[in-house]
Parts: sequence; structure tokens; C-alpha cells
Amino acid sequence: MDRALFAAASGMAAQQRNLDTIADNLANAGVVGFKGSAQSFAELIAPGGQGLGTVALGSRVLFAQGKLARSGGPFDLAIDGPGFFTVVDGRGRRLYTRDGAFSRSADGTLRNAADYRLAGITIPRDALTVTVGGDGSVRATFAVGARMLGRIRLAEFAAPEHLRPLDGAVFAATPESGGARDVTAGSPDGPKLDFGMLEESNVTIIDAMMQILTAQRAYEANAKGVQAADEMLRIANNLQRG
Amino acid sequence: MVAARTRLEIATENLANVSTDGFRRIDARGFLTALGVTIARRTSGEGGALRHTGRDFDLAILGRGAFRVRDSAGRVSETRAGGFIREADGTLHDCRGRVVLGLHGALRVPSGGIVDARALGLPPASRVRSGFLEGPAVDAIAEMIDVLSAERSFESAEKAVAAIDATRQKSADTARVK
Repeated sequence: MDRALFAAASGMAAQQRNLDTIADNLANAGVVGFKGSAQSFAELIAPGGQGLGTVALGSRVLFAQGKLARSGGPFDLAIDGPGFFTVVDGRGRRLYTRDGAFSRSADGTLRNAADYRLAGITIPRDALTVTVGGDGSVRATFAVGARMLGRIRLAEFAAPEHLRPLDGAVFAATPESGGARDVTAGSPDGPKLDFGMLEESNVTIIDAMMQILTAQRAYEANAKGVQAADEMLRIANNLQRG
Repeated sequence: MVAARTRLEIATENLANVSTDGFRRIDARGFLTALGVTIARRTSGEGGALRHTGRDFDLAILGRGAFRVRDSAGRVSETRAGGFIREADGTLHDCRGRVVLGLHGALRVPSGGIVDARALGLPPASRVRSGFLEGPAVDAIAEMIDVLSAERSFESAEKAVAAIDATRQKSADTARVK
């Protein structure tokens, strides 16, 4: 009976963690460049080969492409394909994100909402309009003529799934993910940059709602298992008096 | 009562794994023996439904066979759960950190490469589908019914034990009077 109690309780604990992950996905469903996570589970097996229930192993980020949507921002960028923008935070640390909602700040750099600076590009004060090509080349027009300012490079990783999420849309490199590798956008089978577009989060509210319903019912079913095991223990304990 | 307890253990175990990818339901089979009913455990051969994930290294096996994985202690085990992560060196790891084995040692996948059934050493008729996971083969409703019926049969067994106990009590009392 102890085994039944334990197995059912392990199921409740695992579904609790699952709900945490789904709730986090749902909360960030509207965040540009957000990548949802999924909890993975494994069967718990005793050394003798008998099952002991389940365990939640932790969540992993799903790097599936989000939907690209046309946006109004003058410096909005979206990556179509793999890769990340390299941004620099206030302390000079290099971070990686797919959130391309940049705006021009007073010092000429492009910064996103979290005030991270896009690496490698500065826009001169007198630039009138700026356009970014599919290959990442940045062109600006001035009162007299136009000129290329540089190129936005994308970062790729050997094992992107080992990147450490700082928040849902910004990641830091880890020893397991390998170092960032420069890739040029616009090559035939590589990523492409879309100017004037943003990548929506890859979480759809309907999927997340369905997952919540399933997880909740699984939690309830396991709770019933605990109740049944408890009831049987009660009966066993009352045998003497019966 | 022991049989009912074993049935409850099996049902709760199945219920606990209602979200575990690649999990195969455990069947409880009752046998009548000289000592009453015993329950045998048998892992069901029925696979779960495939679920689309879109990740390159989420692999589902169509047909028989299983992925062979090796843990850090060198133990090799088999699993149908195909949610793998490609490491920087090209090897695949599952979510417990076990490395996926091919025909000759650890399987290596080149960057942008795909995994095929032959390299994994699966039976010839089996195929591997990328972007899908084999879901758990557990029917929560059937398991709930099993939990309830195990509980009730435990109750009836308890009544039988109580009745036998009462009968013996009576005969003991009778013997004392005479």
C-alpha cells in the first residue's frame, strides 16, 4: 500500500511541476521572441525492476520558430530560421535573444525593451532612414547620399538547448552549449533577417490551455489514487476491531 | 486482500505515468492458485499515440524496437522515449543525461543531420520519425476504474476475513461453554 501511496503522490508532485511550466508559458504567450518550455517525465524504477511512480526531470526550452508578424517599429527585426541576435547588457555581458524589437537610443545604438544593446551596430546621428536587408546589411540614407553602416551578425550554437534562459526570451551561453558561432544571414540554407517584422512567442494560448486541462485532470486522478490507498490502509487497520 | 493491494499499486503506477513519454502501461493479470488469487505484472506491448512537437531530435519509433541508451555508469537500457538533445560533439542525450547508442558505440549526428533507423540498430521494418514523440500508453479512465474496483474488492475481502473471524470466534465460544 505504501508503494501505491508513493506512486500516486509522485504523480501529483510531477503534475504540479508540469503546471508550473505551463503557467509560465501561458504568462509569456504575448512576449516577443519568447520560447516555451516543456517538462519531461520519466518512470521511477526501483533497483529490483519494480515501478515506483514518476518523476519530473525538469523543463527544456523548445526553440521552435514563432510566427512572424508585421509590426510598426522602425527597427524591428525577426529571424526566419535558426540563430540569435547578440546583445550586450549593462555589465558588458554577451547575451543571445530572438527578440528583435529594437529602438534607436540617444547614443546611436539599437536597444531592446530590456535596454540590451545590439552588438556591432551604431547609427550616426545624422542618418535619416535606416533599412536592414535579408542578409543583415544595415544601410542608412543621409541628407546627401546613402552608405552601408555594417552588418548584423547572428549567433549559432552547437547545442542551443543547453543555453541558460535568463528570462523567457534572453539566453546566456554555457560550457555545454558551446561558444557562439557567427553566421551570416541570407545564405541559401541559413537564417534570413526580416526587417519590419517581429517573431511572436512560440506558445499558443490554446495549446497551453489544453495542457493545463490535461495536467489538472492527471493531478486529480493521482489524488484519487492517494485516497484509495489511504482508504485501504484504514480498512486494514480496522480489521482487528471488525 | 493482497491481490487487491497489488492491483491498486499497479493502477497508481500507471496513473502516475500518465504524462511520461514512451511509457508502456503495466497490465495486472489475475491467476487462481492454491493459495488464492495472485497478480502477475506484465508490461503492455501497446504503444502510445504519436504527438507532434516539431523538434528535430524528438524521435518516435514506428514499429518494433527501442532506443538503446547508456548511462554514466555504463549501464545500457532500452527506452521508447525519444526526446533527445544534440550535444556540441554531435552525440544525442536523453533527458536523464544518458547517451544514445548506435550500431557502433555512441551515435553521432552531424550538424543539420538526421537520424535514421538503420544507424540506431532497429529492426529492419521499423522507421524513425523526427519531430514526433511517442506519448504514454495509459488510459486514465481505465486506470481510475481499476483504482475503484481494487478498493471495492479490498473491502469485500475484508468482509470475508471479518466473517471467517466471526465464525471462528463463535466456535471458540461454543467450545468454552461445553
